[in-house]
Amino acid sequence: MRRVAITGFGVVSPVGLGRDNFWDALRAGRSGIGRISRFDCGTFSVQLAGEVREELNLGQEFSWIAEEDPKVAFAFIASEEAIHSAGIKGLDANSLLHLGTSLEIFHLDRAVCGGKPDFKAIAERSISGEGEPIKMPLDTAAKLVCKAYGRPGRMLTNCSACAAGAQAIGHGFRNVRAGVFDIAVCGGFDSMINPLGVGGFQMLGALTSDNDRGGSACRPFDASRSGTVLGEGAAVVVLEPLDKAVADGREVLGEVCGLGSTLDAHSLSAPDPDGDGAARSMSAALEDAGLAPSAIDHINAHGTGTRLNDEVEAAAIRRVFSGCWEKIPVTATKSMTGHLIAAAGAVEVGACLLALHGGVIHPNPWLNHVGQGCELAHVAHEAVPFNGEYVLSNSFGFGGQNASLILRRFDGGR
Amino acid sequence: MVTPLGATAQATVASWGAGVRAIRRRIPELAGTSLVNSEAAQLPDFDPAKRLGSRRMLKYMSRSAMLGCVSAHEAVEDADVRHRYAPERVGLFAGVGLAAAMLDDILPMLNQSIDEDGKFSCRLLGQRGLAVSNPLLSFKILANMPPCLISIIEGAKGPNYIFTPWEGQTAAALLEAWQAVDSGEVDCALVGAAEDAGHPATLVYLRQARLLSECELAGAGAAYVIMERAERAARDGVHMYARILSMSMRYRRSPGFDDPLAERMGRCFAAAPAMLTALACRVPGLDVRIRGTDEQEFQARLEILS
Repeated sequence: MRRVAITGFGVVSPVGLGRDNFWDALRAGRSGIGRISRFDCGTFSVQLAGEVREELNLGQEFSWIAEEDPKVAFAFIASEEAIHSAGIKGLDANSLLHLGTSLEIFHLDRAVCGGKPDFKAIAERSISGEGEPIKMPLDTAAKLVCKAYGRPGRMLTNCSACAAGAQAIGHGFRNVRAGVFDIAVCGGFDSMINPLGVGGFQMLGALTSDNDRGGSACRPFDASRSGTVLGEGAAVVVLEPLDKAVADGREVLGEVCGLGSTLDAHSLSAPDPDGDGAARSMSAALEDAGLAPSAIDHINAHGTGTRLNDEVEAAAIRRVFSGCWEKIPVTATKSMTGHLIAAAGAVEVGACLLALHGGVIHPNPWLNHVGQGCELAHVAHEAVPFNGEYVLSNSFGFGGQNASLILRRFDGGR
Repeated sequence: MVTPLGATAQATVASWGAGVRAIRRRIPELAGTSLVNSEAAQLPDFDPAKRLGSRRMLKYMSRSAMLGCVSAHEAVEDADVRHRYAPERVGLFAGVGLAAAMLDDILPMLNQSIDEDGKFSCRLLGQRGLAVSNPLLSFKILANMPPCLISIIEGAKGPNYIFTPWEGQTAAALLEAWQAVDSGEVDCALVGAAEDAGHPATLVYLRQARLLSECELAGAGAAYVIMERAERAARDGVHMYARILSMSMRYRRSPGFDDPLAERMGRCFAAAPAMLTALACRVPGLDVRIRGTDEQEFQARLEILS
């Protein structure tokens, strides 16, 4: 089977637009979380989010997208950066395009017509062409990428909630490894920073309402953690066979070498309290990569900042890495970006590349007192240098979908 | 299976054999609009609580989730999966159609969020709207929830992929499931899809985007099949419907679509490849070749065993 190289990476995130800005912010422990500006959240108990605040340069043809559904714009920009940075010409029959996302956008304001919710009126406006389209299907982003870069051999849209980005990359990895495709452009994109998205998650009690903490409100594994913070953005990688990438003189940012995918089959909203699904996901990734647990040098945790998730994940890590977990540095990117839902796994692969390619593990900056049950070898406050070989990244989704990826430092092709 | 031709696989096969066509129903939410054809295929009555043996998870389910859960349960029971395979070795591969929020779940929220000028107000949403909303709303609209409900109800804990929203995505799920069984990554794959193209908002979108012409009927339904290694099925003495000889996908760009079920069941989009595969396992001479909205053609060669 072929080794699989990451030769391109593009990112749109609350901490920065583009790979270098993203890495600089993470390295410095700079938060992208702040008060929601996208809509009037003054009466919501949750008023914080990790918003993408930079202006996106989409060009005239696609500029309407950012207005209609920001996450589609994020996906396009991240794909563009990934494809350009890899130096590939575009997509063809030997390419796979696989993007993950979670939920169609729903504009609540458009559902009100003449002072009342009036579906017939909205439908009529839409049918007559006077109103906006009533839906924007989740494959819109993939279609735009195809329009700009050509038709791939297969185009997929994954909707595995918080595991979607990691699953898309893992699926791309498996296909390139097996020789089904020579190029995989894959990742995740999402934004739930709209009234229904924030309101829906607020109702579920998943988000912190500790608004006074501002940029430090998302506190994975900390004793004072009180819920996650929604973020938005996209990240996309380009995967190619390692030998071909080396022969073509591409910059190799790292390798993907293992995927684990499991289901909790326990609850829609809460992780299995035993951490069974999470542990099996990590173990499956290790098996796929042919590695023993002791080979892992760093873990980028799912680390959402919710009471239950962090404790369950920490326990699962301790179980899988029994005997060695105290030596494996762990960080949590969501502390600075917030939870990017379907984009989270892909964005966090970008954080792993910072460790593998940039030689730095970014901090979990607001971790002051490790919460009970969250004991791990945390990297808190400041970035630490890293020269390890293997990194594991966890993504555990609403509904009980789990995905773990293992990445490897590029060793020059030895 | 739950299809416009029957509420179970057996009923669907019997109706198909008898040449039955879907009954058309008007969608009341679209009455009086200028939509030229606001009809959809009628689904037969079925009681999801009775079929699933429990009411416990129904409150989390959209209509398409109910269709998917009932279909998956029928397949799992038929193949006796629960007694034969460790949950960790059962994979779940699914297609999901367009999101279909239930209007009843959103109306109370909206009614409380309209200001004195008759406009939607975020301020009022936060003040009053969320308080009267169904806190489970997110579960009904998140795209991955229907298959996740299936995993919980059926105890499937293995590798999984969920794709959306068109025929080609369900075709990819079928292909992934077959490969996962073939490679030994899973011992058993639960694979299928559900679609509710007759949902009012979905139907408006499909017509407006010209993905469903005025003379075509919107369908709804779900189908799940169990894939496992033939040797294991034979050893366990379970009934084998068909042997998969090959499966493939490719792009084929040409006008229109190819869906052998559409004329009689309506267009079931994401569910169609799963419905066709499930039906072709029992109906001799029915080719599994389908190309839909995303122009990805799926083809399977099956050897029918009974």
